[in-house]
Amino acid sequence: MTETTPGVRIRPLDELDISDIVAIDEKISGRYRPEVWERQIGYYLRRDPESSVVAEIDGKVAGFMLGEVRSGEFGLEEPTGWIEVLGVDPAYRGKAIGRHLAEAILEHFRQRGAHSVRTLVDEEKQGDIRSFFTALGFEPSTMRPFVKTL
Amino acid sequence: MSVKTTTLPKKYHEAVLRWKDVFLPDYDFLIENWDKHFPNDQTFQLCAYREMGMCAEVECGDMKGKPKAKKASELPEESAHHLFGAIRAQASTEFGSIQQHRLTLARAQEEEEQFWILRMMAEELRHGYQMLHLLAEDDWSSVSKDSTSDVIDDILSMNTGSHVLGAFNIDFDSFVDNVVFCALIDRVGKYQLQMQKISAYQPMAESMPQMLREEAFHLAAGVVPMRRFATAAAKGETFVTMEVLQKTINKWLPRGLEMFGDERGGGTNVRLGLKPMKNAEAQRQYYREVEKLVRDLNLRYLRARLENLTHGESEAVLDRILAGETVEGVRREDLLHMPHADFFRRRGMPAFKMTGSQGETFTSAHDYLQHLVRVLPESYRASRDYKDYADALLAVEAGTMTLEQASSRMPALRRVAGACPCSKSVRWVQDEPAAVTASEATAQPVA
Ligand SMILES: CC(C)(COP(=O)(O)OP(=O)(O)OC[C@H]1O[C@@H](n2cnc3c(N)ncnc32)[C@H](O)[C@@H]1OP(=O)(O)O)[C@@H](O)C(=O)NCCC(=O)NCCS
Ligand SMILES: [Fe+2]
Ligand SMILES: [Fe+2]
Repeated sequence: MTETTPGVRIRPLDELDISDIVAIDEKISGRYRPEVWERQIGYYLRRDPESSVVAEIDGKVAGFMLGEVRSGEFGLEEPTGWIEVLGVDPAYRGKAIGRHLAEAILEHFRQRGAHSVRTLVDEEKQGDIRSFFTALGFEPSTMRPFVKTL
Repeated sequence: MSVKTTTLPKKYHEAVLRWKDVFLPDYDFLIENWDKHFPNDQTFQLCAYREMGMCAEVECGDMKGKPKAKKASELPEESAHHLFGAIRAQASTEFGSIQQHRLTLARAQEEEEQFWILRMMAEELRHGYQMLHLLAEDDWSSVSKDSTSDVIDDILSMNTGSHVLGAFNIDFDSFVDNVVFCALIDRVGKYQLQMQKISAYQPMAESMPQMLREEAFHLAAGVVPMRRFATAAAKGETFVTMEVLQKTINKWLPRGLEMFGDERGGGTNVRLGLKPMKNAEAQRQYYREVEKLVRDLNLRYLRARLENLTHGESEAVLDRILAGETVEGVRREDLLHMPHADFFRRRGMPAFKMTGSQGETFTSAHDYLQHLVRVLPESYRASRDYKDYADALLAVEAGTMTLEQASSRMPALRRVAGACPCSKSVRWVQDEPAAVTASEATAQPVA
């Protein structure tokens, strides 16, 4: 558990964070989706609970970042950290919570033997997330997602 | 961070496999269907994991800052003694919980949840295996007169009723027990593992990280189905009601609290550098965590029942209902509450205090038992464990048994042949050994 700026505590995700994460997602997306998060959080907890972190302020979850280390996919043989889902409570944005979450998760990825970390951002719809990752030193990769409508 | 994988010497490994064939017969089914339920997750492996590169100095107590012991022989005798008892107790709980879960596993209504529990059972088997690894890897002869193979044999022959800790001697009556047990009793396990992560005995500390990773999922395997039960109940489905959930919480929480040990104790473990927290402090933190779970379940129920509420509104409405107001037809009785920490206790400071589930006080055992009729599951009250409790309570009231005698009778505490005579961690045995079926009798593990 990392003690960061006063009052903010970064710690691994646990199953009692479901309610707070559902609430943050509801604030961001406007949708109440507990079933989705119950399954998602169960997934991340059984994969590697330390690869997903939350930021707590006064005992309340203010942000989360879920990810994992995987290898052998998309031609990437070496272990690679993936940040897959993230969200900071709109009331707490711009206070470096996202940055602290990323630092903690990246440190864990390093410990798990990853030399790089990747994520996917929709440049059209997620301009804020793009700016966030850019500020953290992420650069566009030559690897491009391809998609086909079915 | 690297993890070392080892297996037990062949005869012990095979003994565990034989045990598994009897008590976890669905193991092969789990492995065959692993990819269907846990795609891309590394397939389960029965082995011991040791985390490398952990803190090498004692982290608390009298020896703080000194190098941790890599072998039992490097520990002061008192520590080795405590540790040996703790490893055996831990092993017994891991195997014990599988014996409980298997009773009702087949009754799950949802295949997904059933597979979560089944995976959890396999991981408990691995946890037991990990503890046997600690016993088999080292030389414990300075604290145990029994050979390693006798100690392991002893652990693998325990049945529900003869385990070291009370919670592992209570039969499950329905799948609700499987999930509530994960949410409440595995949560105690999480605390124990977290505390042992700083153990002055390095092999114990190194065993904890992987067990803790697995434990995180066990808690989810309990909490997520509980959330789903609460949602379904709110929507008027008629399977698991809030009342059943409440009664099942009432059944297990007192046992969970007692697993932390007597509220006055735990100082020795801290002094010896084996755990960082005394019993009462760990128990308090645990209680607060379960309080959060209960509140989350209530919020989940409320949002499912009053669908127009926003998150902020539901928090406020919940507080109003808990204060006694009825809001849009939802009453306080429709929701869950946290059982009082003194409720239905038989060990520790509140043992036999006759405190009601919501903190009410009772002065006669008769009235208290009538209260228990209302707040505990019917099937549980028909059990041996409950009858032992009721008999002890009446004996305490009649003055034919002291509190201490009653506490230590739950279940009857008695040394059994073969247990280390100098050990303080005596095995609990019921007066009449639980019936052993023919197939179980053949599970005599270490030949
Ligand atoms: C992106 C997000 C995580 C940022 O969280 P945050 O705690 O406010 O970010 P921080 O304060 O830690 O900012 C870190 C850096 O990113 C930059 N940044 C963050 N949000 C930004 C934005 N919207 N525009 C430009 N830059 C931004 C900050 O300026 C800061 O840079 P600096 O350190 O160089 O000054 C948050 O806005 C969010 O949750 N967005 C919605 C995410 C979402 O939609 N999730 C659901 C689908 S997965
Ligand atoms: Fe376990
Ligand atoms: Fe567990």
